[in-house]
Amino acid sequence: MKKLIAVAAIAVALFSTAANAQAIRIGTEGAYEPWNYVNADGNLAGLDIDVMNELCKRTGLECTFVQTAWDTIIPNLNAGNYDVIAAGMSITDERKEAINFTADYSPPEASGFMMLESATVDPANLTGVKIGTQTGTIQDAYATENFATGNTLLTFDTASNALADLMAGNIDVILADSSYIDEAVANSGGALKTSDVTVAIGGGVGAGLRKADTELLAKLDEALAAAKADGTIDALIAKHFPTRKGPFYVN
Amino acid sequence: MTETFEFWVSYLTNGRHLNWYASFQYTVIAALLGGAFALLFGIGGAALRNSSLPPLKLLGTIYINMVRGVPDVLFFIFFPLAFEQLVELVIAQSACPAGGGAGVWPPCPEANWFLGTGEYLLLASVSLGIVYGAFTANVISGALNSVPRGQLEAARAFGMTNWQVLSRVHIRQMWVYALPGLSNCWLLLIKATSLLSLLQITDIVRGANLLGAPNFSRTAGVIHGDWRWGYYLALLLFYILVTYLSEKAFAAITRWASRGMPMAERV
Repeated sequence: MKKLIAVAAIAVALFSTAANAQAIRIGTEGAYEPWNYVNADGNLAGLDIDVMNELCKRTGLECTFVQTAWDTIIPNLNAGNYDVIAAGMSITDERKEAINFTADYSPPEASGFMMLESATVDPANLTGVKIGTQTGTIQDAYATENFATGNTLLTFDTASNALADLMAGNIDVILADSSYIDEAVANSGGALKTSDVTVAIGGGVGAGLRKADTELLAKLDEALAAAKADGTIDALIAKHFPTRKGPFYVN
Repeated sequence: MTETFEFWVSYLTNGRHLNWYASFQYTVIAALLGGAFALLFGIGGAALRNSSLPPLKLLGTIYINMVRGVPDVLFFIFFPLAFEQLVELVIAQSACPAGGGAGVWPPCPEANWFLGTGEYLLLASVSLGIVYGAFTANVISGALNSVPRGQLEAARAFGMTNWQVLSRVHIRQMWVYALPGLSNCWLLLIKATSLLSLLQITDIVRGANLLGAPNFSRTAGVIHGDWRWGYYLALLLFYILVTYLSEKAFAAITRWASRGMPMAERV
């Protein structure tokens, strides 16, 4: 047993950098514009990235980003693959059972519907249609609860794969965050449309932390409150979401 | 697709694409390292199975028969996870206070073993090695039995020791019979490297999916529809190229292994 422990200790020393209290890892998906994505230069960008960089600057933490798949993003946080989730994740009671959230850095927003321009789907009265959502999102849960009877529900591992299937006619409508839909519709060259029908789900977007990391949570929350009060967060929201009317956090 | 040549050059050399080109190294490393492990486990497994000691023989037979029957995808996700948690369990024995953290894993933050791309790549290679090592072991064990008995008897008649017979005649001639089977194992292993994205590695398959999926965001670069077919086609060509090069390499190795063996050269 002693020998095994020694071997394991050497393995850990070799493979991981020494635990530095000032260094944290941030998990993000990198495939959900304009929240988090890889830009043309090959770097992570988006509101989640900018907000976290701002908070890291204010707290003096040394932050590195880890790209990870969305559907396992919470289990991988709890398994210790990274210390913070910043991935456009809405604060919900269900998720709060597994992880803690900071205060919101983006206020609650409605979810909308996206269809092909030629589609005759009526989002106010969905029957007999194929509805696409991203796996494990609040829209996924909402659709399962409200649209399961009489419709076909399909889930996708990334938002862009759902979009590809919508373009190919494999699904009729996508339910997603309005901010994501507005961005996609505006740049689709008339191929896509949305509707005025929206549904209110979720309670704002925050960063997720392990239940045990209360000290880090307090630190981030303090910096976030300051960044909200001086208008930094509002400016970042305006930068990434031209269509959302602020200010949200400065009185 | 009426864009100019300049557009395509700049599009295909932007940072996102450079990241994708760089990720081909993961596939190549996993294949080569996995192949080396497979050969190692294969030789070990064959040695166990052909052993004259019943417990070792049983161990070799169990390894070869059991692992060959488990889907590689399952093994690929099972082994790295199990290994990580085993290491964490061992660290927790000394690093964690007793009885803490029921229902959570790891039991305490000190016992956490962080796995980055490098560690996952190594674990993936070992997984590939274990799975394809079982096939390789079967091939090598069959090849050892295919060497004509007369050759071995003649070697003994010349007064060679058991070790000399094994190294100079038995293993030396075994390769000719093993190589066709080994080339099969190698190509199967190369195909299995497309599973790397299961282990949080942004490999060529996941990269192609992300790059090819429609992009309607101004800030994420060129706006385009579903281009995944183009990227999948590139992967297809890459794998065909690797297969072609592998066949060439195996042909050369076979020529080398069958030198001085007129019986083998005829086949």
